[in-house]
Amino acid sequence: MNAISRRYPLYFALPALLLYVTFFIVPSVTGLGYAFTDWTSYSDQVNFIGWKNFQEIFSPKARYLVYIGNTLIFTVGTIILKTVLGIGLAVLLNEGVKRFVNFYRVIIYLPAVLPTLVVALIFRSILHPATGILNGGLRAIGLNAFALPWLIDPHIAIYSVIGVDSWKGVGYIMVILLAGLQTIPKDYYEAAHIDGANAWQRFRYVTLPMLRPAIVVVSVLNALYALRVFDIVFALTNGGPGYATETIATDIFKSFSEGQYGLGTAVSTILFIILLVVGYFVIRLLERGQARD
Amino acid sequence: MKTFFAAAALAATIFTVSSGAGYADDKVTLTYLTSQGWVLDAHSALYKKFEAETGIAIDAQIVPADQYYNVLKTKLNSGEGPDIFGGQSGVNTLVVDLNVEKNAVDLSGEPWAKQEDPLVSSQATVNGKLYGLTYWDTLGLVWVVNYNKAVFAKYGLSIPTTYAEFKAIAEKLKAAGVQPLYEPIADGWHHVLWFPELGPKYEAGTPGLADALNANKATFANNKDMLTDLTELKDMYDSGYMGQTAIADTYADAPAKLASGSVAMVVGPLAYATTIASQVPGTDPNNFGVFLMPLDDNQILNVNPGGPTMFIYKNSPHVAEAKKFFDWLTQPAQLQYFIDNAPQALTLPFAGVKGKFTPAQQAFMDTYKDKRGTVYQIAVNYINSQWMEIGKDITAMFTGAESPEDVLDSVDKRRAEFAKAAKDPAWN
Repeated sequence: MNAISRRYPLYFALPALLLYVTFFIVPSVTGLGYAFTDWTSYSDQVNFIGWKNFQEIFSPKARYLVYIGNTLIFTVGTIILKTVLGIGLAVLLNEGVKRFVNFYRVIIYLPAVLPTLVVALIFRSILHPATGILNGGLRAIGLNAFALPWLIDPHIAIYSVIGVDSWKGVGYIMVILLAGLQTIPKDYYEAAHIDGANAWQRFRYVTLPMLRPAIVVVSVLNALYALRVFDIVFALTNGGPGYATETIATDIFKSFSEGQYGLGTAVSTILFIILLVVGYFVIRLLERGQARD
Repeated sequence: MKTFFAAAALAATIFTVSSGAGYADDKVTLTYLTSQGWVLDAHSALYKKFEAETGIAIDAQIVPADQYYNVLKTKLNSGEGPDIFGGQSGVNTLVVDLNVEKNAVDLSGEPWAKQEDPLVSSQATVNGKLYGLTYWDTLGLVWVVNYNKAVFAKYGLSIPTTYAEFKAIAEKLKAAGVQPLYEPIADGWHHVLWFPELGPKYEAGTPGLADALNANKATFANNKDMLTDLTELKDMYDSGYMGQTAIADTYADAPAKLASGSVAMVVGPLAYATTIASQVPGTDPNNFGVFLMPLDDNQILNVNPGGPTMFIYKNSPHVAEAKKFFDWLTQPAQLQYFIDNAPQALTLPFAGVKGKFTPAQQAFMDTYKDKRGTVYQIAVNYINSQWMEIGKDITAMFTGAESPEDVLDSVDKRRAEFAKAAKDPAWN
């Protein structure tokens, strides 16, 4: 370590450091600064107003706590759904299916490359309570009780959004997990088989532990994506009905489009802090896993 | 060799640029920055006619509606405004969004200024100076309940004048399996009409309310008439008059639904029958009648004198040409051409024009000649700017997440935010 330090003096890092400070640190800190001002599009003056924007956000009358709650429900829901379905599909494509494997891989991955807006528009018509094909199909086979008002009932809408987002995102997660599966040596399965392990035991005691690093990676990716979710919510429900599916990112967009720049920056600051905390713990988790390995 | 090519390319560029400049000297092009939906086909046709007659071209730059004010404000604030810019009239918008006293040319002395309907021109006037030309049918575009006459006749119904009568009609239709009202909530703006459009009724209940609201001496919260309006609106939703899928319904589907008779009523403009007939082939426009939105037993006509308006940018090099353009547009021949060729318009707010109201529409307007007032999104500041948010509040009220009182509280809260942001003296 010492030898390396001597060979490469610290000032070698200066150009990179300078670029990083200029283009990442300074704008971020300035951004944080604007969260404490009354900057709007209606006035050319910007005044320091202390914690007022944050008081506003956390006041009991404001709906921000609902938005933060929705974001967390979305995050937890999509992580669970995408990971479970992703593992299932990956295992199926790795071992279960023997023919047309590549064809299935392409089909399952396809939604990930479709533009979110297109997916949302298609699902808005599929999930339409009266004319959508989902409810039409359910009624046709006599399951009238399951033909729910998917996107227009405030208690169901957020779960419908989670469902659509998982449909779109599961292919991407599956590809990563599939790569993880293919690194597991076949010998382990053979050894387990000889020891008399059944299929579930092989999955539980060989596949899952060996797949753990890949699962951690997809969870990090899912969490960071879901906490910042904007497009699918905006295009599917626009935060509605009422405010039932509004998330932090859709609210930031709304604040900015209303010209409330100071308030919008304050909300983004809160999102930044949430991401920072989640990111920190996830990275700690990752490092702990590696240390044990 | 390389140098030679570079020199040749440079010479060619200079030649092109200078010849372009020479061309521009002969012909003036007025740039007109405007929002989607504000330039009708009849407008475009007039611009072409103007160019043919005078050699002055109109270059309409159309910006998507949701980004329009941001684009315009950026251009105005950076001193790079277009020759002409559009904006909704309404004193609040003129002052807060457009800052016309700084950005627009005073048009009070123009020949057409005295010909314009005073109710309309007052919405483009700040401190006694007229700043904009409202080339839009604001008087004929009244939002009313349109109903299918055949359906009403079949069940022996007559038009309601109170909410109780409306409710009785709706119950009869519902019992007969006809959806009483089509209310497209998915669009986010349409169901809001039921609330600020009834401003004249609120004003009648509390004379001077709009002025008091603008002076920050009154609030929406605890206003009896507004509370009645919202409570009855919620009652319509809860009673199922809007059907089961209102939250997913869109306004674009309304003409087909109303024409087919599967729904009996929908809120639309006075001239909606013409639109329905043009969109649904084989429909007789005379099969549709209108009545006022009957919430809070309203019987006062809701007039919105504001509409898309054109302003001349103060720092434009072509102020004289732009004034000439406005003058040309307001000649009787052009006004009449617009009315005759725009299906959306029944009239224009200028003296001496011949409107195309049908006898029924004319009779309707005549009925309320002396009982009309200005809608609240125009009469009261900071309402139009939060239209879509009010829509979300009302949807939340429908689903039970909020109460009518909450909706009114939210309106007050956002008005205060807007007013403070705009440094409104009444709030500071």
